[in-house]
Amino acid sequence: MKTEENSSHASNGQHDALGSEAPLITVGQRIDRICDATQTAWKGGCEAVSEFKSVMDIDGRVDRNPYAMMAAAAGSGYVLGGGIFSPLTARIVGLGLRLGLRLAAVPFIQRELLGAVEVARESRTESLSHPAQ
Amino acid sequence: MHLTEPLEQAASEIENQVLPQLKLAKTKLVNLDAQVTTYIRANPGRCLLGAVAAGYLIGKIARRK
Repeated sequence: MKTEENSSHASNGQHDALGSEAPLITVGQRIDRICDATQTAWKGGCEAVSEFKSVMDIDGRVDRNPYAMMAAAAGSGYVLGGGIFSPLTARIVGLGLRLGLRLAAVPFIQRELLGAVEVARESRTESLSHPAQ
Repeated sequence: MHLTEPLEQAASEIENQVLPQLKLAKTKLVNLDAQVTTYIRANPGRCLLGAVAAGYLIGKIARRK
């Protein structure tokens, strides 16, 4: 597009609006430039990814806790997919809360029952030791 | 003693039948765990990206319902 215009203007000896002669760029040179820019961007992206991996110590974390990292990645994907405010999440959270409350309540109920049994036993032994009162 | 003998025999028979299967299942699970962890450690990026993609798809499906 512009390349052809520039070449036709230059062949006629014309100048651009700024007064300087426009550089001649062929289509091949433009493709080369695009390729160079793409390679530079790719290299930059790869460097950024490797730097991020080294800073976050992704490989080390995966090496230490492979299943936990996979679960964390799947959870991140789940949140990114918009599943956090879904009925499935509500059901899972509800189930977890119910289970957690039950597990937390069991020792409390056990302690209360043992205390009640202890009190009843003490009152019974007391009444047996003092039958006249 | 006479009443408990048949029960003990039945229990030992069940143990003889089930115990090898349990041991085999345990061995298989241990091998699978080793294979999975080795693969994840060898390809961390691919596995993490796959997990994120899987979570994303599950989140999308869960959101639609």
